Amino acid sequence: MKDLLRKIMRTGRVAEPPPPRPEGAVPERAAELRGSVQIRHVDAGSCNGCEVEIASAFGPVHDAERYGARLVASPRHADALLVTGPVTRNMQMALRRTHEAVPEPKVVVALGDCARGCGVFADAYGVVGAVHDVVPVDVEVRGCPPEPEAIVDALRGLTGR
Amino acid sequence: MTTVTGAAFCAALGLGLLAAAGALLPRRARPAAAGGGTAAAGAAAVVAGLAAMAGHPWSVWLPDLLPLAGVRLAVDPLSGLFIAVTGAVAVCAAVYAIGYTRPARDGTDDAPGLDGRAVQAMLPLFVVAMLLVPAAASVSTFLLAWELMAVTSLLLVVAEHRRRASVGEAGLWYAVMTHLGLIAIMAGLAGFAAASHGESFERLRAAAEGLSPAVRSAVFVATLAGFASKAGIVPLHVWLPRAHPEAPSHVSALMSAAMVNMGVYGIVRVGLDLLGGGPAWWWLVVLASGGVSALYGVLQAVVATDMKRLLAYSTCENMGLVLIGVGAAGLLSVSGARAIAALALTAALLHVVNHAGFKTLLFLAAGSVLHATGTRDLDALGGLRSPMPATTALFGIGALMASALPPGSAFVSEWLLLQSLVHALPEGGTLAAVTMPVAVAVVALSAGLAIAAFVKAFGVGFLARPRSAAAERARESSPAMIAGMVLAALACVAAALAPGLVAGGLSRAAGVAAAVAGPGGDPVTGPVTLRPAGMPSTMSPLLITVALLVAVVVLMAVLRAVTTRRARRRARLWDCGAGPATARMEYTATSFAEPLVRVFDDVLAPETDLDVTPVKESAYLVDSVRYRTTVGDRIEHRLYRPVLAAVAWVGRAARPLANGSVHRYVGYGFYAFTGMLILLAVTR
Repeated sequence: MKDLLRKIMRTGRVAEPPPPRPEGAVPERAAELRGSVQIRHVDAGSCNGCEVEIASAFGPVHDAERYGARLVASPRHADALLVTGPVTRNMQMALRRTHEAVPEPKVVVALGDCARGCGVFADAYGVVGAVHDVVPVDVEVRGCPPEPEAIVDALRGLTGR
Repeated sequence: MTTVTGAAFCAALGLGLLAAAGALLPRRARPAAAGGGTAAAGAAAVVAGLAAMAGHPWSVWLPDLLPLAGVRLAVDPLSGLFIAVTGAVAVCAAVYAIGYTRPARDGTDDAPGLDGRAVQAMLPLFVVAMLLVPAAASVSTFLLAWELMAVTSLLLVVAEHRRRASVGEAGLWYAVMTHLGLIAIMAGLAGFAAASHGESFERLRAAAEGLSPAVRSAVFVATLAGFASKAGIVPLHVWLPRAHPEAPSHVSALMSAAMVNMGVYGIVRVGLDLLGGGPAWWWLVVLASGGVSALYGVLQAVVATDMKRLLAYSTCENMGLVLIGVGAAGLLSVSGARAIAALALTAALLHVVNHAGFKTLLFLAAGSVLHATGTRDLDALGGLRSPMPATTALFGIGALMASALPPGSAFVSEWLLLQSLVHALPEGGTLAAVTMPVAVAVVALSAGLAIAAFVKAFGVGFLARPRSAAAERARESSPAMIAGMVLAALACVAAALAPGLVAGGLSRAAGVAAAVAGPGGDPVTGPVTLRPAGMPSTMSPLLITVALLVAVVVLMAVLRAVTTRRARRRARLWDCGAGPATARMEYTATSFAEPLVRVFDDVLAPETDLDVTPVKESAYLVDSVRYRTTVGDRIEHRLYRPVLAAVAWVGRAARPLANGSVHRYVGYGFYAFTGMLILLAVTR
């Protein structure tokens, strides 16, 4: 306990100063959420590169939570789905049901090049297609994997903060 | 008016014997005759008991009925209370038994043994014996009635011994425990009678003052041991969680709701009335054993997965709470706080009444489930709400009544008990200042855990989806069984909403106990609002219930008004996207209790077995995993196993004494007789 407190004291604040708010209006459906977006992450078949970057975006340095975005444990608690990877056959039904389970109004973010257009996995035998082939997508984030700054920017686009 | 008590009581006994004779009728007519007769006897007993509680005592001496001692009966308000409770339980159980013990219509033997002549005759005889115990007014009559009660109940417990092997074992435990209890009571009361040169209760009462403290204490401790074993008090409770589940359900209800009360009756009658109170340590023993029993019983109830075993352990808990009240009453009377002592005893007696009500209902409902599904295992039940709506609703009412939350009936008596314990402090002296806060904590903890136990029993047993094929095939029980349960439920609800109606009778019953008889005025008054005498607190169960109902209605209206802003959408049950949701995903009784097992790990000492078998080719690939966890009765394990082993050893060691020679056996008799004569000659 003492060591932990000392470490907290010595480390201090590591979060980077907030970059300027990205340009562009908040999507209409996300505007109803009024700056607080609860996110359920779904791995539809990712190589886990995007997951590492998501962890980093919600880590102490980039700290996406200070803009009103938060990861939750169930789609029933969520406003938005954060989908990574191409959609594989095994995850197709699960993704569709997860999308059904999110209460209205809901937003879907396709994160990474695989989620946007299958990336290097395009035409593989176990892949059904990109995320927009299975559920309607509202926001896309480029990159393989996307940098944490890009993820934070996209989420700030939803929260408007 | 005195004649009303006597006439109704004699009518109850007569109707009971007539019902027993009804067992001679042909098989089809037997359940209706015996059950109907028993119900009528019970109703007459309720009238007799209420008349006695209203202040119309009755007594009779029949010197020629039995050789040497005769039969002496007396019904005072305290006896009246227990007679009325027994009668009310008998009415519900007997009406239920008409449906429960009836042979199946299609010729297949649905309940073999239950419509047999002996079993049908035993039920009314058991009720008669239980009515005689509180009415007995001499040592010999009391012991005779007590033994009759023990034997008839034992025969009823083993009624289904051809069906399940475990019945025989339960019967053996019960027979041994109940007879050891009888020996203790007999030793205590016989010693009491010998020391007071007479065996009628009046004589004992008059002579008790003059006895030496050692004799008084010996009498009290011996009878306490016997009565506590009948009441299922830890550590003498071991027969109870075996016999109650194995007995037919209407018998379980009678035993758990009426027979165990006789243990409480005995302690109050002998300790507070005949002996007229005693030193503080007596009552500390009573209070401590009550506290241990309440906590241990409720913990075992929380972890039990057998529905009737759960109810049996809940009986241990509730009898423990009653003994806390009795012990507090005795302790406070020693320190002179008689008004609060009377309140504590009244609370204990009210809890006896309430416990009898909800435990009858719960055991009958559990029997209805057992009848429909053939299993008592909560982990194999569930999904009974749509096939058995009446049973589910009635068990729900029973569970609510058993939880110490408004609008339950247990709430009222536990509130009164807590009031008496909390307010004991200024008058009770140092001993009360130390024990009462501990007792308050025990009552509060057991009340909280009891809620967990009954949420488990109702939620896992009746709601969600069926966990086995047997639960899927369940059908609602016959009208007679439902009628029995409805009667019990109505009695429970009446006791929960208007306990003030019986407050006068209870006060009079508590007043019989000379040691706590108040200086005047009832300890509790008020038909709607309960007012403990001399305390600033009041409570009205009726108003609380009305307020709760209003709050629920208002809350639902507000929620409806708020949620209509957005359109509703029907969505699939969330099953992690995998689906479909199966009964295997549900909470089970074991998993519901797991956190509490972990918290009370030191007390319960669960045994866990994990067996992992790898495949032949690789130690890293698992072929099968077997997990088994059991929570045994630790007291039985630690306390009884060594004794049983020692007895078995003595039996083996003594085998050479019995070598089959008749001459030797005659010799044993001769030497034993001569030795006894010499002993008498020396000591005389």
